[in-house]
Amino acid sequence: METKLRVLVAIPAYNEAASIATVVERVRESLPDFDLLVVNDGSRDATERILTQLAVQTTTHLCNLGYGRAIQTALTYAMRCNYDVLITLDADGQHYPEQVKALYNENLGAGWDVLIGSRYVESHDYSRSPLGRRIGMRLFSWLVRTVGRQHIYDTTSGLKIIRRSVFEPLTRWHFIDFHAEAIVYLLRLGYRVGEYPITVAERAHGTSMYSLLSHVTYPLKTLLILLIAVVQAELTRRSQR
Amino acid sequence: MTTQGIIVLIAVGLTLLVWILDLVRRDRLYVGYGIIFLFTILAALLVLVVPALLGGITRLVGALFPASALTLLALCFIVFMLVYVLAQITVVSNRLAIVVQELAIRHTEASLAPHPPQTNRRD
Repeated sequence: METKLRVLVAIPAYNEAASIATVVERVRESLPDFDLLVVNDGSRDATERILTQLAVQTTTHLCNLGYGRAIQTALTYAMRCNYDVLITLDADGQHYPEQVKALYNENLGAGWDVLIGSRYVESHDYSRSPLGRRIGMRLFSWLVRTVGRQHIYDTTSGLKIIRRSVFEPLTRWHFIDFHAEAIVYLLRLGYRVGEYPITVAERAHGTSMYSLLSHVTYPLKTLLILLIAVVQAELTRRSQR
Repeated sequence: MTTQGIIVLIAVGLTLLVWILDLVRRDRLYVGYGIIFLFTILAALLVLVVPALLGGITRLVGALFPASALTLLALCFIVFMLVYVLAQITVVSNRLAIVVQELAIRHTEASLAPHPPQTNRRD
């Protein structure tokens, strides 16, 4: 008899009052079998009030801790509540919840530990992205291939299917944004990370979490943490032997 | 250094020492940080009252003048303290993040837990 997996959809949200209601409604419509958790990462706008009105299960950080910490809160929650799968989705409405089921089925079938909803895995074409992001995407994709020994085309996607097998490793260490550094860490530990093609919409409301300054600091921080992730993974492997 | 200079520096060192000890006593400075400053001040005072020590340090670090050796040591100390303080801030910041996350999760778990039936009975 097939055991039904417990699945949690987690949406980290920071100042997403303009889009969160639509995203929650679309997730509820598209994924009625899955539980939903919004991680309100210390929003200062009306996000919390809207979430209360929507009666959605919410976990609220008292102050803004950043995207990485919000994902880790969702991971810890999923671990404690015995979920088998965690699906992360952006709160800005760029992801289509309607595409998640296909991603989920692929994950179940192929047994990935992490399956990334990828914008570039089919086309390998970054040309539609702004120049800065294009350079960053190429750089981190190359770095992941070099140190993780696997080509991941979309290292910054917020849509991920995460299996229980990696809940604990992903809460063991502080990742910045769960992007290239987390992928490399998992790959070096021997976990299976895959990509599945998705399409994304343009951001309709709000601003990106990446400011002008962070376009400079983010690659440097990620580069450093990525290299440390390699060392950390190696130390973890040795301690587990 | 002139006797007047030595007296002034000893007075400054002792004042710092008393200040540090008072901060530790009033729980405004962690005892571990107090120890670092205590040893640094005592070492500085020792170098001040034993000029031969300064000569030895100058030769040891390969400086041409005692003043250069002292500047180098002071810079090393400042950089060490800067890294140490930033590391401590990171530790505190991480601890705060863990508390905030834990609080958020517990609050959600509590809101999902079934509430015990409320009665008006008074035992």
